[in-house]
Amino acid sequence: MSIVGTLALAAVDSLGAAGLPSVAGSSLAATAESVGATPAFIGDAADWAFVVDNADYLGVGVLLTVGLTVASILFGFLVGFPAGAVEVYGDGSLKRVVTVAGVVLRGTPIVVILIVMYFVIGVPQLNFGVVSLSSAVTAGILGLGLRSAAYQSQIFRATLSSVDAGQLEAGRSIGLSRFEAVRYVVVPQALRRSIPGFQNEFTIVLKDTSIVFAIGLAELLTRGHDLFSEQTTAVLEVVLFISAIYFVLTFTTNRALDRLGDHYAIPEGESA
Amino acid sequence: MSDDGFLRVTDVSKWYGDERVLHDVSFGMDRGDVTVLIGPSGSGKSTMLRCVNRLAEAQDGSILLDGEAVLSPDVDVDELRREVGMVFQGFNLFAHLTAAGNVALGPRRVLGLSEAEARERAEGKLERVGLADQLDSYPAELSGGQQQRVGIARALAMEPKLLLFDEPTSALDPELIGEVLEVMHGLVDEGMTMLVVTHEMSFAREVADEIVFLDEGHVVERGPPDQLFERPETERTGRFLERIESHD
Repeated sequence: MSIVGTLALAAVDSLGAAGLPSVAGSSLAATAESVGATPAFIGDAADWAFVVDNADYLGVGVLLTVGLTVASILFGFLVGFPAGAVEVYGDGSLKRVVTVAGVVLRGTPIVVILIVMYFVIGVPQLNFGVVSLSSAVTAGILGLGLRSAAYQSQIFRATLSSVDAGQLEAGRSIGLSRFEAVRYVVVPQALRRSIPGFQNEFTIVLKDTSIVFAIGLAELLTRGHDLFSEQTTAVLEVVLFISAIYFVLTFTTNRALDRLGDHYAIPEGESA
Repeated sequence: MSDDGFLRVTDVSKWYGDERVLHDVSFGMDRGDVTVLIGPSGSGKSTMLRCVNRLAEAQDGSILLDGEAVLSPDVDVDELRREVGMVFQGFNLFAHLTAAGNVALGPRRVLGLSEAEARERAEGKLERVGLADQLDSYPAELSGGQQQRVGIARALAMEPKLLLFDEPTSALDPELIGEVLEVMHGLVDEGMTMLVVTHEMSFAREVADEIVFLDEGHVVERGPPDQLFERPETERTGRFLERIESHD
């Protein structure tokens, strides 16, 4: 944070006293000016310099955002895929438990889930040798991950059910057990069909990581908010900058998943 | 053609809810026999066929295969199905696997062959059904007739002692039926034991040792093709055959 002390306080004060519109107004005025001078450049040069000066501060936020996303999606897959399979193939109390847990998780605001994880349950700090996760990060991963599991389970439930029943039957007819037939015949087809839904889920989780501010973690969006709270003329520049980062992250991961989908696509003939 | 042979179906009955779809069905076949089940749609032929490998569960009666009580709760159905191959009306090829992958899956995962051995077996079976040049084609890239031949190769790869055919040509365009029947003829010549549900009467006439005519879940009549086609004992059989043959 390059701007401290009285200036920051003054900025926060002016935000509180005059309200956001005046700040946004001044920023827009600056934008209009600079557009007049150099048409290709949006925003104010000094405010962009402020953003660049603080790029390392935002960079730490990017690391946290990416880390939370990857860990939550992975956790969500490891829990959500079996959960979806239980909803399709399971029965009895296991299926009921999974179904109810899914309904509860999907029906609870993510802020509430995070607060319960952190303040009510109070998940502990985790140490994995070189890496150590604070209890807030652990709570963030578990909260985002469990909610993602609940949504991912529905992606897999839908795609597992969409594979024609004749496929499972043909698998059974050559002597595969039910588990083997699902494993070798249904799952490979269902996973391919899950990619579009998974792209959505990935994008949503990536952007929802910002909600960990509720348990005191400062990821990309929260750090952006910190910055323009300090230099209130830089709202536009900061927001554009972090939006661009989010865009690059979602765009590249979605393209990567597209490539994965293309790579594993099942060839289709013209006559079929 | 004695009934105390290889497959013995005795008084098999099945209900779907309150509806009885099989009424005390009985027939038998020896090793190497070809038995053809015929009858109008909804007569229970396919259901009867599926009771033999327990894709459908009969509720009453008994089925003995090579002396083993198929319907016994102690039977390992996966083991049973290793020995009883099935060819489906809709092919049901594994959509994500190539022709060779389809045929190799059983040998690899059920029989425990190595990747290379399973592939080799798949190539052999596909060659046998005339598809040596389509090993790496996916089902959607093949014609219906080719797909069904892969289906036959997939069943053969388990080296079954009995092959079940559930209307193997019913989903095919007329010009593609011949190639599938040709493969089936070849199997008959090699002495494969086959239980076939079909509407292909000329095929039935040529290769069947016995024909079983089912109607509304009852065996109306059974006997060698000559007898059934030339001198049907019941009026119902005669009427059915007339109707079918006028479409041939």
